[in-house]
Amino acid sequence: MKKIIHSIIGLSIVFMTVSLAGHHSPAVFDRTKEVKLVGSVKEFRWSNPHSFIELDVRNEKGGTDTWAVEMDPPTYLVKAGWTARTIKAGDMVTIVVNPVRTSEPIGKFVSITLPGGKVLTEKPPSPTP
Amino acid sequence: MTASAKLLLMALSLALGTTSAALAQAVAPAPLGALSPENLSKQRPKAPFDLTGTWLHDNKDGPNSWRFIPPTFKLTPQAQEQYDLGQKATKEGKVYRDDIGQCWPAGMPLIMTRVWPIAMVQLPTAIYMTSAFMNSLRIIYLDGRQHSNPDIVVPSFNGESIGHWEGNTLVVDTKYFPGHHHWMDQGGASIPASDQLHIVERIRMINSGKVLEIEYTMTDPKSWEGDWKMTKRWNRVDDDITEVECWPDLNDHIRSTSSSSQIR
Repeated sequence: MKKIIHSIIGLSIVFMTVSLAGHHSPAVFDRTKEVKLVGSVKEFRWSNPHSFIELDVRNEKGGTDTWAVEMDPPTYLVKAGWTARTIKAGDMVTIVVNPVRTSEPIGKFVSITLPGGKVLTEKPPSPTP
Repeated sequence: MTASAKLLLMALSLALGTTSAALAQAVAPAPLGALSPENLSKQRPKAPFDLTGTWLHDNKDGPNSWRFIPPTFKLTPQAQEQYDLGQKATKEGKVYRDDIGQCWPAGMPLIMTRVWPIAMVQLPTAIYMTSAFMNSLRIIYLDGRQHSNPDIVVPSFNGESIGHWEGNTLVVDTKYFPGHHHWMDQGGASIPASDQLHIVERIRMINSGKVLEIEYTMTDPKSWEGDWKMTKRWNRVDDDITEVECWPDLNDHIRSTSSSSQIR
């Protein structure tokens, strides 16, 4: 049962995210895939029409890929607990993204685990019953 | 003054007089500005409703709530070609001609259904709408003016909107679009909006002023046959809008807009 509830929650989150149309079409991202990135924040910009994170991630060849992580506008992020100071360049974080359908290091933000262990998404926390 | 000099002067004044008369005929006097005190203070019947406020389109039905895709449609051959290319791209997991992502304006009607709310200010002479998406400005004139002379008007992505009241409904007629980089949908049904796009909106305020309902009737003989009808809703929200710009370096960071899965 718990599994079913989790799936439903997962589905509704995907549904809500897909339904938002912003500066660019969200169809470019593969919502069925999630990639976990561990790396160092190169830049975090708190801005309209989208906030974004550039994350330096070590690749298999020993080099570094700079991932472009695209986010919702700050008006949505604030409701999800974000501020302009939530992360800064140099912070080591784990970020989950829906990647683009190519092999390019580009993704739509799903969630972040901050250096202290706190997890944030782009959605406001569900009201407690 | 000699007789010939007098004749020359007469001919000159006649010619000048004729030119001024022709100019006066060609250029009709401009209507009073919508914000001019003289226009604002004119006696008019009270508007049936005031939509001053901030509105966000109702998103509860998922993507279809913001998209403008008719349930059935018959496209012209040139629009069908674009639509088919869009469908092919979607099947391949790609996105066809997302011009909004390249900082082209969303334009009507898509500008009404972005993620960001729209601030609306209603005056007796006009409604000023500013979308929090790219600060896009849309003006609906209510002061009784007619559409501009087509030889003078500058086409725009939100078009020229002229409104009038029919009972409790505000009827808005919008035309004069540029006919390029303008689409009826984003990243889905690639139906182009041509310079012949014509939109009639019937706007009602319902649910004690908390909901705005707009019934759209859209024609575009260069892109589809017949009337395209849709009804959409907006909810009153208590958010302020903020400045949103498409800076020259925006897409250097929003790199999905230049991904190889974008078809330009």
